[in-house]
Amino acid sequence: MTKRMIVAALALAGIFVSLYLTLYKLGIIGELSCSVGSCETVNTSTWSRFLGLPVAAWGLLFYLDVFAISLIGTFPRFEDERVISLVLVAEAAVGVLFSAWLTYLELGVIHAICIWCVTSAVIVTLILLVSVADLRDFRAENTAAT
Amino acid sequence: MPANNDQPRARNVSPRNTVREAQRGNRSKAFLWILGFIALIGVGAIGYVASKPKSSSVASVDVADTSNAGPAQGYLIGKVDAPVKIIEFADFECPSCGGWATVTEPDVRSRIIEPGLANLTYYDYPLEQHRNTLAASNAAACADEQGKFWPMHDRIFQAQTEWNGEATDAPKPFFKRYAGEVGLDVAKWESCFDARKYQKRIAANLADGMRRGVNSTPTFIIGDRKYPGMRSYDELKALVDSINRASGASVAGAAAPAKK
Repeated sequence: MTKRMIVAALALAGIFVSLYLTLYKLGIIGELSCSVGSCETVNTSTWSRFLGLPVAAWGLLFYLDVFAISLIGTFPRFEDERVISLVLVAEAAVGVLFSAWLTYLELGVIHAICIWCVTSAVIVTLILLVSVADLRDFRAENTAAT
Repeated sequence: MPANNDQPRARNVSPRNTVREAQRGNRSKAFLWILGFIALIGVGAIGYVASKPKSSSVASVDVADTSNAGPAQGYLIGKVDAPVKIIEFADFECPSCGGWATVTEPDVRSRIIEPGLANLTYYDYPLEQHRNTLAASNAAACADEQGKFWPMHDRIFQAQTEWNGEATDAPKPFFKRYAGEVGLDVAKWESCFDARKYQKRIAANLADGMRRGVNSTPTFIIGDRKYPGMRSYDELKALVDSINRASGASVAGAAAPAKK
């Protein structure tokens, strides 16, 4: 497994987590099974929308995007494209910041924790770590080459 | 741009490259297997959750035997003859019901119910995953016996996190304290609560909700339509206004405070 493959696998997992939360938000899944924490409280709070879209839907778009880019990055043609690693790092950094903000809201403002939201925050953090490692590989190779 | 640096890495034809190709093949295979595995789990889990409410009809609380429950009887707030009737099915332990009752409902009461635009009837819909909710329903029903359902309802919802199933498995002392705080005859309330005097009424309310196809809490029924989930004040106001407008009841008339 290359690092981009790991990123793609993580993003795919993120797609399902955010899809689940989005479906709940849209009312397609009636009851949220919520054995730990209070997903209902979090996912129905005022902060569960951002720019008119449910936060979960933003998460879904984000993971779809990261999945597509990292998948393309695994194609032999693009394997050596450093730009893809750069884009992944940049996107993941934005994702981590957004997740950090949401986690702050959960802990500090809503006072409820949603286990699936935390799962998503963990996934996006892992994506950032792996993409940074991926980008550093290029740097290492470049210095080795010269 | 890094493109110049990148080209040589893959394009050299050398014996080592064929090894690399083979490794790449194995890697891609493993990668596809892993993606397939994640997708399978994801689709399976979401499919399972999506189908669950229909197959195992979410709610029935084992202690509330709905087989011989009799007629449902909710708790009314507002004018009996208000032009729009809002029905709420809620669970005292459900966090979103608590959120709605403490954040949204005060506005609904002061701006929709008190002016006489609509009334609201609360029905118990105790969900089985909430182990103290049935006790809460009983506590509220026994307050209703003394004409204080709504103060008790508000008190129970306000303090949801201190008596819910996550906080305790013995919620009675909390309810007893609230009974005193809202001005009930506590001894009378306690004997009612211990006897589970209104268990049948609660079961009947639950059965009525199930009959109406309620599968999440809170669920509102306004007119002949069902609105699952939390509703904001604005949404409810718009709904109530549209029904009032359609039925020709003068919204302006109702806006002038109701004569008591």
